[in-house]
Amino acid sequence: MTDAARPHRIVGQPIGRLDGLDKVTGRGRYSADVSLPGLVWGKALRSPLPHARILRIDPSKAQALPGVLAVLTAQDLPRVLVGRRMFDMPLLARDRVRFVGEKVAAVAALDPDIAEEALALITVEYEDLPAVFDPVRAIEDGAPVLHEDPGAYDGAPPERPHPNVQSVLRFKLGDAAAGLREADRIFEHTFRTGLAHHGYIEPHAGVVAIDEDGRVQVWASNKMPFRLRELLSHAIQLPKERIRVNLTPIGGDFGGKGSLMDLPLAYYLARVTGRPVKMVMRYTEELMAGNPRHPAVITLRTGVTEDGRIVARRVTALYNSGAYAAFKPAPSVNLGGASMGAGVYRIPHLLIESFCVYTNNVPCGHARSPGEPQMVFAEESHMDMIARDLGLDPAELRRRNLLRDGDLLPNGHHLEHVRAQETLEAALEASDWAKPKPGPWIGRGVAMCHRHIGVGFTNARVRLETDGRVSLVIGLPDTGTGAHMVLRQVVAEVLGLSIDEVQIELATTDTFETDSGVGGSRVTHTGGRAAYHAAEALKEQIRAETAKLAMPTASLAELAQAAARAGRTLEASYFYDAKAHGAVTSFTAQVAEVSVDPTTGHVTVRRFTTAHDVGTIINPIGHQGQIEGGLIQGLGFALMEELRTEDGRISTLSLGDVKLPTIADIPPLTTVILHDPVGPGPFHAKAIGEGSISPVAPAVANAVADACGVRVLDLPITAEKVYFALRARAPRS
Amino acid sequence: MLHLTVNGTSHDVEIPTYRTLLDCLRYDLGLTGSKEGCGVGVCGACAVLLDGTMISSCIALAVFADGREVTTVEGLADDERLHPVQQAFIDYGGFQCGICTPGQVVAAKALLDAIPDPSDAEIREWMLGNLCRCTGYYKIIESIRAAARPRRP
Amino acid sequence: MNAFDYRAPRGLDETFAILQEYGDDASVVAGGTALVTMMKQGLVRPRCVVSLRDVDGLDGIEATNGALRLGARVTHREAEVSSLVMERLPVLAETFRRVGTIRIRHMATIGGALAHADPNQDPPVTLLALGATVEIRRAGSRRALPLEAFFRDYYETALEPGELVTGITVPLLAPASGAAFLKFLPRTADDYATVAVAVTVTLEPDGEHGREARIALGSVGTTPLRGRAAEALLSGERLDENLLRAVEEAIKAAVDPLSDHRGSAAYKREMAAVMVGRALTQAWEAARRAAREGR
Repeated sequence: MTDAARPHRIVGQPIGRLDGLDKVTGRGRYSADVSLPGLVWGKALRSPLPHARILRIDPSKAQALPGVLAVLTAQDLPRVLVGRRMFDMPLLARDRVRFVGEKVAAVAALDPDIAEEALALITVEYEDLPAVFDPVRAIEDGAPVLHEDPGAYDGAPPERPHPNVQSVLRFKLGDAAAGLREADRIFEHTFRTGLAHHGYIEPHAGVVAIDEDGRVQVWASNKMPFRLRELLSHAIQLPKERIRVNLTPIGGDFGGKGSLMDLPLAYYLARVTGRPVKMVMRYTEELMAGNPRHPAVITLRTGVTEDGRIVARRVTALYNSGAYAAFKPAPSVNLGGASMGAGVYRIPHLLIESFCVYTNNVPCGHARSPGEPQMVFAEESHMDMIARDLGLDPAELRRRNLLRDGDLLPNGHHLEHVRAQETLEAALEASDWAKPKPGPWIGRGVAMCHRHIGVGFTNARVRLETDGRVSLVIGLPDTGTGAHMVLRQVVAEVLGLSIDEVQIELATTDTFETDSGVGGSRVTHTGGRAAYHAAEALKEQIRAETAKLAMPTASLAELAQAAARAGRTLEASYFYDAKAHGAVTSFTAQVAEVSVDPTTGHVTVRRFTTAHDVGTIINPIGHQGQIEGGLIQGLGFALMEELRTEDGRISTLSLGDVKLPTIADIPPLTTVILHDPVGPGPFHAKAIGEGSISPVAPAVANAVADACGVRVLDLPITAEKVYFALRARAPRS
Repeated sequence: MLHLTVNGTSHDVEIPTYRTLLDCLRYDLGLTGSKEGCGVGVCGACAVLLDGTMISSCIALAVFADGREVTTVEGLADDERLHPVQQAFIDYGGFQCGICTPGQVVAAKALLDAIPDPSDAEIREWMLGNLCRCTGYYKIIESIRAAARPRRP
Repeated sequence: MNAFDYRAPRGLDETFAILQEYGDDASVVAGGTALVTMMKQGLVRPRCVVSLRDVDGLDGIEATNGALRLGARVTHREAEVSSLVMERLPVLAETFRRVGTIRIRHMATIGGALAHADPNQDPPVTLLALGATVEIRRAGSRRALPLEAFFRDYYETALEPGELVTGITVPLLAPASGAAFLKFLPRTADDYATVAVAVTVTLEPDGEHGREARIALGSVGTTPLRGRAAEALLSGERLDENLLRAVEEAIKAAVDPLSDHRGSAAYKREMAAVMVGRALTQAWEAARRAAREGR
């Protein structure tokens, strides 16, 4: 690896993304833009009931509608269960629906409007079954059971204290029960968060075509095309070599675009009709059935000494996973963010238990920092409530407990290069934490988190072309983060080229054997290292070829042409597999400054400060873009967004009602960057994609409490909640 | 039979009455630059100009454009020379995944046509209906400010 | 959307004939922001969509005696930036400006907004406070209806089958008057109101005592409402803290909000009072200034 202290030529430069041309001209073809001769449209009929037996489906009137080419129900499909790790979901509901929005039938028609009309003509007879919606109720004795034998599903984890528990994940240090008994003071609080949709502006879309060779061609808004190929192979019962996933740019992922969604249905419709099939979810379908972020009920019980040192903590998290476990990809079939029950603190005795629970709600999946914004909201609010009770400045309570070099995490790592303290101080300083507030009803709140750099595996190939440019062949789709630009900069740096001399050649799933795809803040690391080492190998080949051909002054183009005449292509491949998280994390500290209008409860964020402990930054524009984007998602989660349900039925049925933040809702933002080039990525880069989202909600909640004494324990923090809490304290303000 | 001009080119196209302007542009005319996001006119990904006025094409019937001129994102650049807002979005990182970007640049162009030197408040008000989930908007504002700068006297 | 006949008449007579032909199976469209959205959601399935987009005589903003008349097809944006409206009824221009986003305002028409009768809309609130009158026409006749008689229920108006809104006449403010419109939307900047309030106040020639006040509220019932009991409290009075509190209590009793995504009924009731208090204070202050300046 190169010497990270030396400034780089291309790495670290704020170069505008060269793939911007396709974006700003609308030339980029996303999955919904793909057009093929003879293409027809697929649509899915969805259950209106949360839990019911299917007695009868009559597709005949739909089949008779002019323009309808096919109607499929479960009877027409093999008995396959799909999932990302635990395979518990049918392609179409067979004899039972388990959530409002579950797919019951699929239609192919000449245009999407006819397909929709056809759905309305399919009659389904249901018989209601008792349903359960609350995860606390779902694990009580006598609760309606969704799956008779979840342990029998492929990929099901073995521990099952109740048939409605999908999985249990524990993080443990020492003996929490004993530790709590030793504490001077004990605090216990419970917090709740709700469903949160990723809010990507591109709904799920896919095209499936079966070509003359019988190969299945797929274009899909899916960020892990190689895993998609595997999962599709299993779902449609064809060897994966018969499937080719063609990469398309993706209009926002944020963790939500890693599953099969409607693709198997598109395949079967394509098979039955003999035509390519496109399926695009309407946004209402996204809101009903789009694998959103898990709602959570989290209880923390912390024991501290009189002077505010944490001695023990017990955390119980119930993540309301909905009707199927199918959308969760982790081997634990649980949410890694639960580990943040420990916060950024040294806790000698810790027990975190995270339960993912079946209920008759929309099945949930991964979302940016899976499980983490929920847990960090709870944990960092809890810390502030402890501080207030002990009479300590919330920053001081944190200082007394921050992780240090060498501290042991529950995953067995001893942390290195810990800069929790520095990051906290940087946020406090930049936010004027210690200065008097500018007026009444103004408050400040602090919150922190930390995160490992993502791991996975990537294949990369670099090739010297005869025009002297270098192609980087990569099977990672463009989800918008700017990763392709980062990889180009890495290759250009290694090879001493200008950025224009490096181009991306997007692979298909035919090109490489595998790739873990985009997600988990891993691409700069895994894609970057693969590209780096491939480029290093190519550099070596160039040196060798130059010597072999005795052309010391040849340009790269001349060299490549000469090699080509000799029957050789200068090309190097590298497979990088980052097997486990390292001992380095990235810390984030944020401070929110809010004002509360006491006559309405309205919370305004006056300013926001975010401090990040990062590695080498490869593209500062992209890096900052990730910070800002994640932060505003966190702000929406904290204050604005809601996906409401009543008895399993989602009543927020348009994106307009979700209340995503608009351009007029963003607060003035100060970012502080603390560089420490110690990451596992190329040139000692770390990761940033999931660094800024989680502390936002507790920073805001803590600021609100500071401003007006109201402690909101469930998100979003609405004006109404604050208003009535203020009224309860002082009936006449 | 619908007769409309898109980005200066005339089209005659046979469509059912229920066709939205967005679907007509994307599927009947193959101009997939305008995108469908929310489908209810809120997110702005479908923004086009109808006789120079910015509308949500996902909730406009295609027949509304009969005999009229439509400008889409594909019509902003002059051959290979990008419109200043397009260039600014590239230079300042006003896009990430790009799905909202066509709507953003159409809206930004319409803004600068209406108000050549907009204040921050005017930028926010005009661009209110263009949702972005990736950028957090900071760099969109920066991009628009940068595109407006040369227009100052 | 379902398949439908699309008719684009040129004149009102032709329009009425088509409406007669299709009866209940026809829906009228101008901007389309409400109708097309509802058709896409499958909530409305007309057999015929009759467009008013090319019909003569529905445009224009003009000053008439002591009033402004806006044609039914005037868009929110046209009203927002009209120099006539900005000069003579700035509170109305400001109200139109708060509706949705610029794209919606470019498409949605005043006539369409009134006919849609969503109690969460903003313009009807201010129009109610200004004492507007709706022009309605049918084949062979026309009538005028005060706006408070026009809204019957959630999405329901006094329009009979075959009738169309063709315009709205809005009286200018009397001398010594002030007006204010407040839209309270605590979630994000693009939303319907949790509560919207418009207040007009006219003072006695002494510039201190109230002569007439009109208080209108939106998003607090199945139609936009007048707070008449609250208005009556202001007659002949000077505005002070006690009177403001009394007005606020009267408002709480007058409204019957529905809980929705923007607030519970209880919260909307509280905010109705708060916003009326604020709007009344603003309008009263503007009226006092007008009285002082002899306007």
